[in-house]
Amino acid sequence: MNAAALRRYLTEATGARSAEIDELRRLPDGAVQENWLVAARLEGGSLAGGWRLVLRTDGATALGIGLDRAAEFQVLRAVHAAGISVPQPLLLCEDCAVIGRPFFLMHFIAGAAAGERIVAGELGGERQALVARLARELALLHAITPAHPGFACLAPPPVDAAEARLEQCARLLAADGAPHPVAEWGLRWLIRHAPPPAEPVLCHGDFRTGNFLADAQGFTALLDWEFAGWSDPDEDIGWFCLGPWRFGAYGREAGGIAARAALYRAYEAASGRRIAAERVRWWEVMAALRWLVIALRQRDRCLIGGERSLDLALTGRRPAECEFEILTLTEAA
Amino acid sequence: MRDPPDAAFLLALAREAEAQGGDAKLAARARAIAERERAAGDAPVERLRRALAERYGEGRIEDLLCRLAGEIRAGAADAPGPARAALRTLLWSMTVQKLAESNPDYLAAAEAHPPSPGRRNSPSSGPCVSLRDRGRPEASLGEGDA
Repeated sequence: MNAAALRRYLTEATGARSAEIDELRRLPDGAVQENWLVAARLEGGSLAGGWRLVLRTDGATALGIGLDRAAEFQVLRAVHAAGISVPQPLLLCEDCAVIGRPFFLMHFIAGAAAGERIVAGELGGERQALVARLARELALLHAITPAHPGFACLAPPPVDAAEARLEQCARLLAADGAPHPVAEWGLRWLIRHAPPPAEPVLCHGDFRTGNFLADAQGFTALLDWEFAGWSDPDEDIGWFCLGPWRFGAYGREAGGIAARAALYRAYEAASGRRIAAERVRWWEVMAALRWLVIALRQRDRCLIGGERSLDLALTGRRPAECEFEILTLTEAA
Repeated sequence: MRDPPDAAFLLALAREAEAQGGDAKLAARARAIAERERAAGDAPVERLRRALAERYGEGRIEDLLCRLAGEIRAGAADAPGPARAALRTLLWSMTVQKLAESNPDYLAAAEAHPPSPGRRNSPSSGPCVSLRDRGRPEASLGEGDA
């Protein structure tokens, strides 16, 4: 990261007389994109003062799906305006001459997104309160419909979100080239049991433990909006409950934090929408399949893209968790 | 049958990560996977190859897995009946074997915590039967699928 170029950018973009960067280091969170802490002091201009900021930019290799940084910035700005607890977005830079990649800056929010520490109870505060807060954030997000201004960067809502996801996953699976019999089993089950379309709402697309910040007292902010889009609200709920996102606390089906029923109760109370368990089950099978194909692409960033990352390489061994979930969830209930 | 990357690649990256002061937990996980696979040897892969060869005839495991995936994709397991039950049993054995090498903690956690009532069968009903009672008549393992 070129600190001098970033300092020049901050000066010009904010109209400051000068800018100093006291700290610049990569943050541990973010498997797909990179997040950097930027402690900066600006004299004059629209951001005068001392700030702790987060710079979010593309990873060294790309996943090839999801929003680019410009679209993610627009979504973040719109959901922030809608009252959802996210870091306040500040500046977008699409000029690759600055740090080599597009990036945006947002306010730093205290907390950590470490899934293991959250499910262990080190972070997030009291578990029932945490899951209730997450449910309220999700209900607020799902109240946003395609009629809402500020989301022009998103693709138009699909007529049938389930069908659209099925097509996407089938395409990504076929592109992998290797045989995946359990994923094929899951695809066939999903086709046979597809639910009727729901009215599309704004979905986070990666709403899970590990993608929100928490401190010792509780939730602080919802992160990582690169997969946001119009979809079925049950997609976010199914994704949140998927086994691999429980970080070892398998018995607490709501993200390793609480019982599934606690999440459903809090979400229903906040949204006024009744959750149909069978629809969530369908979306949870879809979540397992979707995480499987994303894991294959993550692995390929290492095996094909050449990024020497042990984390990415080990992601190549995670499809077995998804296969376990597909087979479990498609058992007769 | 083992998902890539292979153990040698994982070990090489683990050594690099350790040399660079990287995440020790990740390096330990990579080493543990490699060790479990070394201890198991080729037997699990050959066992699966033989099971597939019984369905499709002799061949390389990669080709036989392609046949299996193609058969499922074509809808061979869509209709309830013994054929679907047999396929499910085969898929469970493959999956549990992979998970036992890649993430045995996940398997143990899932088996220790039955899912919430009314949502699905116990996860242990599939993999444990297929692993522990290899050779039992597949139809007796249950049909599955709503």
